[in-house]
Amino acid sequence: MIQIIYHFLVLYLTFHLIWFVIREKKFWNQLSGVIVLIMFLLRLLLIK
Amino acid sequence: MKKHQATAFLLLLLAALVCFFAGREFLTMHEEEAVYPSPHLTIKKRLSDYFPGLKNSPGDSSVYIFEGQKMGGTLLILGGTHPNEPAGFITAVLLVENLEVTQGKVIIVPRANNSGFMHSDPQEGNPQRYSLSTPGGPRWFRYGSRLTNPIHQWPDSVLYVNPAGQKLSGTESRNLNRSYPGRKHGKLTEKIAYAIMQVIDNEKADLAVDLHEAAPEYPVINAIVFHENSAELAAVTLMTLQMEGVDIRLEASPPNLRGLSHREWGDFAKTRAVLLETANTSHGRLKGRPSATLIINGKDKNYMKAAQLGLLFVPFDEDGISLKQRVSRHLASLRALVSGLHELHPDLCIQLDNLPNPIEVQKVGIGPYLTPSK
Amino acid sequence: MSEAVIFLLMVGIFAILAMILKLPIGVSLAISALAGALLGGKGLALRHLVEGSFGYFETILIILAAMIFMKVLQASGILDSITALMLKTFYRKKLPLLLTVMVLIMFPGMITGSSTAAVLTTGVLVAPVLIRLGLSKVKAAALIAMGAILGMIAPPVNILVMIMGAGVDMPYVGLTLPLLIIVVPLALVISLWLGYKDIKIIRYDEMKSILPESVFSLFGFRLYLPLVVVLVLMLSQSLLADIMPDIGIPAIFMLGSLVGLFCGRPFHFLKITQEAVKEAMPILSILVGVGMFIQIMTLTGGRGWAVISFLSLPPVLLYLGIGISMPLFGAVSAYGSASILGVPFILALINKNAIITASALSAIAGLGDLMPPTALAGMFAAQVIGEKNYFKVLRYCIVPAFFLLFVGIGVLLLAPILDKFI
Repeated sequence: MIQIIYHFLVLYLTFHLIWFVIREKKFWNQLSGVIVLIMFLLRLLLIK
Repeated sequence: MKKHQATAFLLLLLAALVCFFAGREFLTMHEEEAVYPSPHLTIKKRLSDYFPGLKNSPGDSSVYIFEGQKMGGTLLILGGTHPNEPAGFITAVLLVENLEVTQGKVIIVPRANNSGFMHSDPQEGNPQRYSLSTPGGPRWFRYGSRLTNPIHQWPDSVLYVNPAGQKLSGTESRNLNRSYPGRKHGKLTEKIAYAIMQVIDNEKADLAVDLHEAAPEYPVINAIVFHENSAELAAVTLMTLQMEGVDIRLEASPPNLRGLSHREWGDFAKTRAVLLETANTSHGRLKGRPSATLIINGKDKNYMKAAQLGLLFVPFDEDGISLKQRVSRHLASLRALVSGLHELHPDLCIQLDNLPNPIEVQKVGIGPYLTPSK
Repeated sequence: MSEAVIFLLMVGIFAILAMILKLPIGVSLAISALAGALLGGKGLALRHLVEGSFGYFETILIILAAMIFMKVLQASGILDSITALMLKTFYRKKLPLLLTVMVLIMFPGMITGSSTAAVLTTGVLVAPVLIRLGLSKVKAAALIAMGAILGMIAPPVNILVMIMGAGVDMPYVGLTLPLLIIVVPLALVISLWLGYKDIKIIRYDEMKSILPESVFSLFGFRLYLPLVVVLVLMLSQSLLADIMPDIGIPAIFMLGSLVGLFCGRPFHFLKITQEAVKEAMPILSILVGVGMFIQIMTLTGGRGWAVISFLSLPPVLLYLGIGISMPLFGAVSAYGSASILGVPFILALINKNAIITASALSAIAGLGDLMPPTALAGMFAAQVIGEKNYFKVLRYCIVPAFFLLFVGIGVLLLAPILDKFI
């Protein structure tokens, strides 16, 4: 149960991280977002 | 498309690529090495046969049972409680591939925490596998994590109160050797612990041995940790090993350290509980470059320096402490424990044939005792 | 190439990227880690880079959830209302104010063992009060950062000791007294040091003029519900851990945030989340970068080299080594410092009482949360008061940090004497 809640939390935050990368104007800040996003994607897919 | 949108698109593509390539490597951890049981294996079961709550879960794992014609004692051997302690795991595999039991019963669980074998610890830089050469070519084995894979048990709580009532930091909830006697409806690691308790109960194990390794800077090392119900057995074993020239010491299981196999197996399942430790450089905090070679030959210049500074609890020189030495030590201890059990309780005799000779293993290595890969 | 050379090159590349080319710190760390992997002959080492960052995945979830919670408190008017309440209560009482503030800041740290949780919950609440009563913004932030670190060290939950205990098989028992001996005097001294001179006692009409708008009359006690939910859940996680289902700190903050939707002024939850992500991004990417850096440092042998170098210090310098290396390594995170250095140091001091040693080492390791580039406590405290440059906050933490360091080392030295009383 709690694992499902966390899965949803990660999904919600992944969506926001992608949104952040798209809206952000500065390239280096976009890159900052992307290195964080990678982890969220891998956890979302239950790979790592 | 604006410029920042174009870069965003490219960067998201990059993220996807990194996920693909890194993810592919992470997923290889789910692949299990081959184990070729000896022809004398009586039956192969799963932990879920003892506790159906583990069925189809990543915590389920193979249980190899060797039963002799003659009645005798029952021995349980656990390898891979901590999948980053290879000597325990390899010793269990060697037994599965070689053993013949003519009297009594031997139960072996090489991958006690199967989920931990599918995970590698962040910031440790460990290899995902290592290979041992056999006469028929190399065979690879998994090097995992001390803890259950977080994708199988998540999130860690703030504080973990284990089934024996001890307060620990949250990550320890994924440590199998802090989760005994387990919980039937608990977290995955607690369920694994519960299943192992069921094995001990159902099979009426007279002696249960948990094979481990520790960092050379850890005080309890080259040691037999025993529950007070096996104090006599431990003492007899120590004498046998000393006569064989194996330098080892006894450590009584501290009564206030709860949730560990050598405590709860004895308290709850009333079996003679013993834990064996050897010295593994590859999971110490002082280790140099982590590699498969470090796992196998155990040579490390940082540890040599630490030994000179008197910081270690084992002798350590330029020869290192190799995997074959550590496995040999586990084999010798197991043999001595079984003979000690027989000496103290003649009705609990366990006849182990084809047990790889510890001195030979130290001389010729582990490979010759492994079945060549098919 | 030797591990020391690779490590120094990684540091050099980081310095060039971050200081000369002014790239974000997180990205600079990530690139220098990548460079380290290439220099060490490990190729791109994608698996290692990503794996290293996962060391902070839980921390990152906590930070994001806590940032969302902080934004909710602000947007719903809850924060202003609590500031108003505290101002009305304490505007004439300097000492009680400072002590209450200190206890309030420490509380979430005491029950979660995390300084971030402290800064981003009660730290947020007390900041405006302190600032309105005359404390400069950066000094208020320094007070919050120090209080949060003391909270992290204080009993009942000290994760640093638990981490070290796990490494030496020491159960988490009997730590309350030694930890209190360290924390209580420091809490007194540090709150007075940072606050006593600057906090003003003001008249009623002055207080009225600086009072933020309270929406208490509109929503009543419902307003406090999100905070109550978060604090009660945190408390129950540590005090009733055996019967409460443990849902983890991120879920607690998210739950509090969702409750906030119904307790004060209306706000847009998605927008709030996006703001939280944007504001947390520098620290999130730093954590990811540090994770990558450490993994490559371990992979190329640099970590082992650093640990053995500190341990090889001559005995007279051992305490100096502890005092320098543990906070320094804490730049990785205080938890990392406790695990990587704390455990070998306890073992090096094995002839002393392990409970006292671990307590003192946890205090010293706690300082790691002030060490750049991560400086979790300092960075979040700066964020709470709206200061972009967290070094300004850290400047005021230097003296209190030395207090903490001296007490830590002092307890280590006096361990044989304290041993007789505990």
